[in-house]
Amino acid sequence: MAVYNNNRRIVITGLGALTPIGNSVEEFWGNLVAGKSGIDYITRFDPSNVPVKIAGEVKGFDPNLYIDPKAARRMARFSQFSVATSKQALQDAGYTVSEENADDVAVVFATGGGGLDVMQEGSVAIYNKGPRAVSPMVLPNMIANMASCQVSLNLGTKGPTTTSIAACASGLYSFVDAYHLLMRGEAEMAITGGTESFITDLAIASLSNMQALSKNDERPPQEVSRPFDLTRDGFVYSEGAAAAVLETAESALARGAKIYAEVLGGALTADAYHVTAPAPGGVGAAKAIVKALKYSNLTPDDVDFISAHGTSTLLNDAAETAAIKTALGERAYKVAVSANKSMVGHSLGAAGAISAIATALAIKHGIAPPTINYEHPDPACDLDYVPNVAREMKIRAALVNGFGFGGQNGVLVLKAWED
Amino acid sequence: MPRRVAITGLGAVTPVGNTVEDTWRNLLAGVSGVGRITLFDPSDYAVQIAGEVRGFEPGEYIDPKEARHMDRSVQFAIAAAKQALRDAGLELTEENADETGIIFGTGAGGVGTLLAQQATLEERGPRRVSPHFLPNFLPDTASGQVAIAVGARGPNMAVVSACATGGHAVGEAMETILRGDAEVMLAGGTEAVIVPVIMAGFINMRALGDDPNPTRASKPFDARRSGFILSEGAAVLILEELEHARRRGAHVYAEVAGYGSTNDAFHMAAQLETGEGAARTMRRALQKAHLQPEDVDYINAHGTSTPLNDRVETLAIKKVFGPHAYEVAISSTKSMTGHMMGAAGALEAIVCALAIRDNCIPPTINLEAPDPDCDLDYTPGAARKLKVDVAMSNSFGLGGHNSCIVLRRVE
Repeated sequence: MAVYNNNRRIVITGLGALTPIGNSVEEFWGNLVAGKSGIDYITRFDPSNVPVKIAGEVKGFDPNLYIDPKAARRMARFSQFSVATSKQALQDAGYTVSEENADDVAVVFATGGGGLDVMQEGSVAIYNKGPRAVSPMVLPNMIANMASCQVSLNLGTKGPTTTSIAACASGLYSFVDAYHLLMRGEAEMAITGGTESFITDLAIASLSNMQALSKNDERPPQEVSRPFDLTRDGFVYSEGAAAAVLETAESALARGAKIYAEVLGGALTADAYHVTAPAPGGVGAAKAIVKALKYSNLTPDDVDFISAHGTSTLLNDAAETAAIKTALGERAYKVAVSANKSMVGHSLGAAGAISAIATALAIKHGIAPPTINYEHPDPACDLDYVPNVAREMKIRAALVNGFGFGGQNGVLVLKAWED
Repeated sequence: MPRRVAITGLGAVTPVGNTVEDTWRNLLAGVSGVGRITLFDPSDYAVQIAGEVRGFEPGEYIDPKEARHMDRSVQFAIAAAKQALRDAGLELTEENADETGIIFGTGAGGVGTLLAQQATLEERGPRRVSPHFLPNFLPDTASGQVAIAVGARGPNMAVVSACATGGHAVGEAMETILRGDAEVMLAGGTEAVIVPVIMAGFINMRALGDDPNPTRASKPFDARRSGFILSEGAAVLILEELEHARRRGAHVYAEVAGYGSTNDAFHMAAQLETGEGAARTMRRALQKAHLQPEDVDYINAHGTSTPLNDRVETLAIKKVFGPHAYEVAISSTKSMTGHMMGAAGALEAIVCALAIRDNCIPPTINLEAPDPDCDLDYTPGAARKLKVDVAMSNSFGLGGHNSCIVLRRVE
């Protein structure tokens, strides 16, 4: 099914992370393996009026570590996140953007909602003070493509720069898009990832009224997100970003760069079913997994690990389990399925990217991070979810699942690097 | 045989017509769709004009109960998508739904919904906020809702690159078909941004043009141009693998032969003055299409009517086309439609397809005072008969995004 007439192979050589469990890749990975939750009471606004009071916030983020303070002040938080994680990833990859290579570096950075918070501030200004009070920076700040543009502006890359959006699957689509850009030779290197940051009263109120968020106020915040557990009752909203540097294996080897994993491609499908609910039995998701394996020339037996979408909602986790079983058959019971949202919460457009880098790290280190807060088995969720404790294991190939509002299904395939 | 991508269906809802044929007729006749804003009371605003879609009845396309919960941008998207599928004579069935995907772009997503919900939050409290708010605000809502409305289960996402969005949607959809991920793609853009906060933002950015006579406010390439005119609408192209289209005997408007995508990496709200970014994009698109600059008969310019864009775009065209820059026919349909933001690039790709079909190009209206920096043939005033075999559509966006699409006649 390969469609490219070249022998390019695409690898991941750098990572960056800003998450509720760590503002660097090392901290993120350490806490992920330790099973530490990043969920707590909301501090980004006063939540006393909204029905849900917990979220996964990025804590202690200082944009000035990464961005000129004057520029940072004129940038929405989701853009600050994408620039910061991109810089981390480039540094990790040991790569410097210069006049010579800038045309060949692409940026494919996704987001779910862009600067919803900026837009909200603009709306408040207009209601309270009239049109003259609206900042001229509202538009250039809120528009979703700034996730990529600000990276290009701050790092000086001049190759293709795009932002694609598929709600909760966005961050994962960006890896697939970046892979295709590199395979068709439009760039030699791509900075890719996902970013999201709008923990605001309006967002929490809407998600809560959608019955998507857990309204559980009896458990400690750290125990509310419990994917695949029988007593799960909704997701926990969060923010964050993750970035990766993708390049050809040829370029990585020539530079002597470390390789986390190989990107084999992926697949995208739509349910065409409902705006917020997955199709029954996860048929759209199953098709995406089957298509992704076919594209990658893998069989179910090659897959050792799945980073689940695993949101902790009743519908998603059951539908995703069904989809994995439909797509992998008997193999489904032998694969380690892990949901990092149990620790980082659900950061919408960043979630897929966070899962992608977690999976690259899992392959590199030979460790499957756990699904925490897993206590009560659900007959509808009967796979091996790596409950509560990380597991050392060899991972040959892995799937990263991301499913969005609107029925958008994305699956990314990563493989351990072999020369 | 390498795969090729044909255009087999078109749909549009614009300030100059609620169908493709109405829009096309008015564009050829030089009719402006710009007028005083009616969607909200603009009395307090320094600029009070925009290009509104008029007389749009969502009920013609969408169950009224569902339409009530949809942002205006989503309603436009579904209407244009249904028009395009009908034009292509394509029914989505169990057999072809998996092979049919959607890439629908938007600049700002459901901002109208956001404003309304912010008011609800402030006046009536968090419990009254609509559960439909987020799924209506996120920029990929149109992609998802169109998939549900028409039953397309293939690759599905939104691309966002500000004013270059529509062009990127068409280009990325072309790539999706070329690499075999789908046989049919609905590619398009939608925008419904004539709302207070967006108007105020652009006014305070000093980006908008104005004129006592609204229909004369958008004057691309004219020496007196002072800014763009905000407008709204949606446009959709059905892209289809050429052999797939031929097998079912579909009418082929043209082929999407080339696509270029770059970034200036210069400034978030201003273009690179040298036009180098825009020029690189056109070159990439031509290269991909295996065409020379001399092969291009018509360029549908980004031509926003801002002082900077029109000068830079002219410079970029000269860089790429050399002496041929003075021979190729150029026009900016934004002189009539205003700037449909995320939908503009898709509508302008449609204009190129129709120019190839009818061998006729629409004019740039309101171009009367020559600007020494803009000295090419912009087809001023009146439409022109012209054999068009290859047409190019440029789109450049806030944030330095550049996209370029090249269409070619299929014999």
